[in-house]
Amino acid sequence: MSITTERPPVRPRSEGEGARTALGSRARNRVFWTRFGMQAPSLIILAIVLAFPLVYSVVLSFQSYSPVDAEADGHFIGLDNYIRMLGDAQFGRAVLVTIAYVVLAVGIETVFGTILGVVLSRLIRSRRIVTSALLLPMIATPLVVGLMFSFGLNPQFGFMTDFLRAFGLVGDGGVLDSAGGAFAALVVMDVWEWTPFIALMVLAGLSAAPQAQIQAAELDGCNTFQLYWHVMLPMVRPVLIVAILFRATEAIRQFDQVYILTGGGPGSATTVNDIFQYRVSFAAFDMSYGAALGVATFAVVATLSAILFRYLNRKGVDA
Amino acid sequence: MYHFTRHAPGRRSTAARAALTTGIVTVLALAVTGCGGSSGGDVDPDAADGWSQEFAGTELNVLAEATLNSEILAELAPEFTAKTGIDVNIETAPFAQLVQSVTLDFSTAQGDYDVVSIPYDYLGAYAGSGYVEEITPLIEANAERVGDEFDETDIVEGLWDTAATWDGKSYGMPSNSAVTMMLYRADLFENADEKAAFAAEYGYELAPAQTWEQYSDIAEFFTRDAGETAAGEVLSEPMYGVTMAGKRHEAAVFEWMNYAGGFGGGVVDADGELVVDSDESVESLEYMKSLGAFAPPGFTSATWDEVTANLQQGIAAQAISWGDTAGAMEDESQSAVVGKIGYGDVPVATEGDEHHALHGAWTYTISTQAVDKDAAFLFTAWALSAPVQKKIGEMGGVPATRSAFEDPELVSALPSWPQQLASLENALARPRNAEWPQMLDQLALQVSTALVGDSTPQKALDDAQSEIEGVLGDKLPLKAF
Repeated sequence: MSITTERPPVRPRSEGEGARTALGSRARNRVFWTRFGMQAPSLIILAIVLAFPLVYSVVLSFQSYSPVDAEADGHFIGLDNYIRMLGDAQFGRAVLVTIAYVVLAVGIETVFGTILGVVLSRLIRSRRIVTSALLLPMIATPLVVGLMFSFGLNPQFGFMTDFLRAFGLVGDGGVLDSAGGAFAALVVMDVWEWTPFIALMVLAGLSAAPQAQIQAAELDGCNTFQLYWHVMLPMVRPVLIVAILFRATEAIRQFDQVYILTGGGPGSATTVNDIFQYRVSFAAFDMSYGAALGVATFAVVATLSAILFRYLNRKGVDA
Repeated sequence: MYHFTRHAPGRRSTAARAALTTGIVTVLALAVTGCGGSSGGDVDPDAADGWSQEFAGTELNVLAEATLNSEILAELAPEFTAKTGIDVNIETAPFAQLVQSVTLDFSTAQGDYDVVSIPYDYLGAYAGSGYVEEITPLIEANAERVGDEFDETDIVEGLWDTAATWDGKSYGMPSNSAVTMMLYRADLFENADEKAAFAAEYGYELAPAQTWEQYSDIAEFFTRDAGETAAGEVLSEPMYGVTMAGKRHEAAVFEWMNYAGGFGGGVVDADGELVVDSDESVESLEYMKSLGAFAPPGFTSATWDEVTANLQQGIAAQAISWGDTAGAMEDESQSAVVGKIGYGDVPVATEGDEHHALHGAWTYTISTQAVDKDAAFLFTAWALSAPVQKKIGEMGGVPATRSAFEDPELVSALPSWPQQLASLENALARPRNAEWPQMLDQLALQVSTALVGDSTPQKALDDAQSEIEGVLGDKLPLKAF
C-alpha cells in the first residue's frame, strides 16, 4: 500500500504579497479551526473510548488495586506487576496456549480455505449457492457457536460425540475430558467457522486475477497444478496475507467460545491469553495485574501488526 | 451461562443526572397538578400490617442470585409494596455474573443497587472495603418500623455467623440457606434385591452412606451399563453411582471442599494457616478423583447444573449437592425421580466422626450507596419475615429462619426439610477474606488439573498452596477468614 500525496504546485511569491500575509494567516487559522471543529466530535469520542481506557490501564498497571481488597487501594508499586508477569508460569502457559492455538487454527484455515477457494473458482453454476452457504458459519455469533459445540460435544447426548465415538475417536469421557481433546475442539471450532472466510478472500483474489497472464501460462504448456502454484497463488498472495492478518488478530483475542465451551479448562489446557486475563481481572479481581497483562499484550500485538504491515508494504499489496 | 436480566438500568449514574431528573419531575408535577406534592405511591394505611409506610414512593433496586428463592421473592414483592408503598425491582444473575456486577457497582460507587444478595464468601471483600452497611444499627433504628412477623433471632444461628458476621460485626442478613447434603436414590437403596446383592458383594447392609468408603462402594455397586437391571428394571441407558462437578469452575472447588471437610483437610485451619497441601486435603482430592470412575462421562466439564440434571433424569444413584436443588428433585414437571430421593448427612472419613456440610448461603447486604438505607432494610426484613419465609419453603425455595424449617406443615410435606436444618447446624464455611476470589481461582485451576490427570492431586495442591501463599504474602496466618 503506497501512499502518495499530491502537493499543490508552489507558486513563486510575487511583489506586494507580504502585505497580505497577516490576512492569509488569519484565513489559515480559520480553516484550521473549522476543520478541527468539524472533526472534534469524533476526536472526542475516540479519545473517550480509546485513549482514556488505554492511559488508565497503563497507570493502573503500575498500581496495586483490587476492588475487593481494602489494602490494594491503588497505591503505586512501580514495576512490580510487570516483574510478577515475567515470573508467572501460568501466564507463560497461557501465552504458549495462545500461540499454539493461533498458529494451528489460522494455519489449517489457510490451507483448507485456499483449497476451497480454488474449488469454488472452478464451480460455474452452483458457485453462488455454495458461496452463500459458506457464509453461514461466519454469521453465527461466537457465543452461539460456542453453545452449539457445547451441546454437540456433550459426552452423554452430544451428536458430535456420538459421531466421533462411532469411529472410535473418543472414549467415554467425551472430547472435553482431556487437555488435548479440549484444545483440539477449540481449534476445530475456529476452523469450522472461519475457513469459509479465507476461501471467499481467495475466491475474490482469483476473480480479480488478470486473465491474460493465466492464458499465457496455459499457452506455454503449464499443467493445472503449475498454473495454480506458480501463477495464480502469487497473484492471490497479497489478499491471502491480509486475510491471515485479520484472522490472526481475531484468534489472538479469542474469548467467547473458550469461555462457553471449556472455561479455560480442563486445568489450564485451553486458558488462552484473554481467558487468563479475564480470570485475573474479573474472577480474582486483581485489576492492576490484569491491566499490566493487558498492556503487555497490547504492546506485543501492536508490534506484530506493525511488522506485518511493513511486510505487506514491502511485498506490494498494491500489486 | 448468561441469564442476566435487568429491570432498571443505571438509575443514578451521576449526581447531576439525578438532580436534572428530579428537576424535570418537579416541574412536570407542578405543571400537571398545580402543586408540589411528593411522588409517593398510593398506600392504604389498612394494608400496613405493622410495617411503616413513611418510605412510600421509594424505589429500590435489588440484585439477587438466579435461584428459585429470588424468583419467589420477585413474585411476592407486590405484597411488600402494598404494605409499605416501596417499589422493588428484583434483578437476578448467576454466581459469576452477579459477583462481577456487584463488584463493579460497589467499587465505582455507582449505586445502581440498593440491596444485593451476595455469596457469603465475598463478605470480607465487600465489608472490608466499606461497600456494605453494618446491619445492627439498622435493626435497632428500624425496630418500630418493621411488622411483628420479622424476628431476627429466628434466623438459623449458624447462618448468622457464616453469612452475616465479619470481624465481629454483622453486615447483612442471610438471604437463603443453601447448604450441601447427600442426595441418594432411596427407592434403589430400599429395594430388596439390591440390598441382597450389595450385602453379598460388600459384606455389609446397603444403607445411606455414613463414611466415604461406603459412599464409594455404593457408587461402584450402582454403576451399570445399559441393558443391565436396577431394582428389577432393565436400564435403557447406563446408570452411574455418583454425579459430580469437575469443571474448572467454583462448583468443582465447592464439591472438593465437602470431601476435604470429611477427611479433615480444607483450605484454612482454625488458626488461619493454609492447609491446602496437607495430607488430609490431598487424600480428599485423591478420593474425589477416584469417584470419577463411577460418575457420568465427562464430569470434568460438569458444574452443579449437570449434577442436578443427572439426578433429575435418574441416571445417578448419589451426589453431594446443594439443598436448594431438593425442590427441583420433587418438581414433577422436570424430574423423573419425584419421591425417590433420600437426603442425608455428608459422609465422614471414619464412622463416629462429626458430619460436616458446606455452607452455600447468600446474604442480603445494603449498599452504602443505597437510595434509602432504612427502606432497603425494611425490604430485607420483610423478605425474612415469617410468612414470606414459609411461602419460600412452600414454593420450593430455601428459607433462612428456624421457624420455617420447624413448621409442621412444611416438615410433613418436604422430605429434605429435616436434613436441611441438620446440615445447616453442622456446616463449615468457606474462607471469606478479601483475597478469597484469588484463592478460589487458583483452587479451581488445580482441582480441575488433578481431576483430568494432568497433575497428581499432591502436585496440584502443592501448586495451589504455593500460589495462594504468594497471594496472601505476609497476611498469613489469616486473622479473619
